[in-house]
Amino acid sequence: MATPLSVIDTDIHSSYDRRRMLDFLPEPWRTRYASGNDGPGHLGYWNPNGVMRADAVTPDGERIEGNPRHLARYFLDEYGIEYGVLNPERSVHAGLSPDPDYAAAIVSAINDILAADWLPVDPRYRASIIVAPNDPDLAAQEIHRMAANPGFVQVLMPSGARMPYGQRYFNPIYAAAVENDLPVALHPGSEGVGISGAPTAAGYPTNYLEWHTDLVTSYMAHMVSLVTEGAFIKFPTLKFVLIEGGAAWLPPLLWRFDKNWKALRQTTPWLERPPSEYIAEHILLTTQPIEEPDRPEHLRAILEMFPVERMLMFSSDYPHWDGDTPDFAARALPASVRSRVLSETARELYRLPARADHAAGALATTAAAARHD
Amino acid sequence: MASHVIGPVEEFSEDTHRVVKIRNIEIGVFNIHGTFYALPNVCPHQFGPLCEGRVNGTMACDAGTGWNYVWVRDGEILTCPWHGWEFDIPTGRALARSKVRIRTYPVAIENGQVIVTL
Repeated sequence: MATPLSVIDTDIHSSYDRRRMLDFLPEPWRTRYASGNDGPGHLGYWNPNGVMRADAVTPDGERIEGNPRHLARYFLDEYGIEYGVLNPERSVHAGLSPDPDYAAAIVSAINDILAADWLPVDPRYRASIIVAPNDPDLAAQEIHRMAANPGFVQVLMPSGARMPYGQRYFNPIYAAAVENDLPVALHPGSEGVGISGAPTAAGYPTNYLEWHTDLVTSYMAHMVSLVTEGAFIKFPTLKFVLIEGGAAWLPPLLWRFDKNWKALRQTTPWLERPPSEYIAEHILLTTQPIEEPDRPEHLRAILEMFPVERMLMFSSDYPHWDGDTPDFAARALPASVRSRVLSETARELYRLPARADHAAGALATTAAAARHD
Repeated sequence: MASHVIGPVEEFSEDTHRVVKIRNIEIGVFNIHGTFYALPNVCPHQFGPLCEGRVNGTMACDAGTGWNYVWVRDGEILTCPWHGWEFDIPTGRALARSKVRIRTYPVAIENGQVIVTL
């Protein structure tokens, strides 16, 4: 690659030890969690290879994502990543517990672990404030509690939901986010879990392939809701990040949305411009799982159909089974937007200063760099 | 083309596999039911360490099985630890993409030694 590139990774999955959670959970939640009741769990769809990459272990056999020093050494160092945003494993599901107080206690403990055990360890770490959105007032309290720590750069909610996120029920969350200059991000994987609706508009799919493929449909519904309900009119500085949805689905949805708005504009008189313009200004996507058409030029054509340079940020999803390495994502992108997507849009959104101790151009392009031997 | 002795046959017990280094090239060596195979330790997808993945079989289900799941090819299918792409070890073919086929290296046993030809 001719031009040196920095990499900011907007979706890394650290994990946490259940026993460590007990150090931060007050009673009565501590006893409940210690008994093994840790939230609504999964639907039980099965990935035969495991969701976590089997080779994400140190030479001593320890899980890399389970230890902040290992993750820095065996992932950030290997790929020359300048900053990485931590979205802990199993963190968003808790927000779909039917019990809002318990959900709030669990996400608070996860945030406390990030603040105590991860952010201080390496200057490259940033993290999301996990909130349980179904009690918006408690979620807003949690945003205010954690926002003073500059290591937290956004609010994170599950994309599995009781109702579309544009509905004004959620406004306290957005008010707290903009008051603290934080974007709100969604992460998939909890569709159908707990008190969320069915994982697809057609109901419950049978297997993991089907469920995972359909995840993007909840992003479509939340995006259309946020714009239609005027969330970005009421909160003009609100930014939304749709993590791990890929990108190729977006342009046709924008066209459909704008076409319908031209006829139905009077039902949403607060929208003074085509919906696609609000989306371009307020919503960002992350690359992974980047689409892999047989003919790569097809993806490049799609990436010309929306403002990629302001809407798209690199994410690896490490160490999940469907992750993208930085070099793989970089090759899929037109050269003209690589720098924006790999680092600069995220740097602006999350206000990340260029790090004096970071050598730009560390992007690894060889297979060997992906391994630790 | 050069032949490389990679070790005595006893070190490659039946139905196991491991990665060896020949010059600077990582090669996965497989003993499947007593027959040896060798493949490059790199996946053509995102260049993951293919041969560090697990070896087992795969699922079949069609009219011939009465549309019941049947476990087949046990011990002959290699799965990449990164994204789960499956490869047929004897031929190097990707199960999901018939046009994708990785190299296979000849393996011979001579005087009790395993020899891979690159």
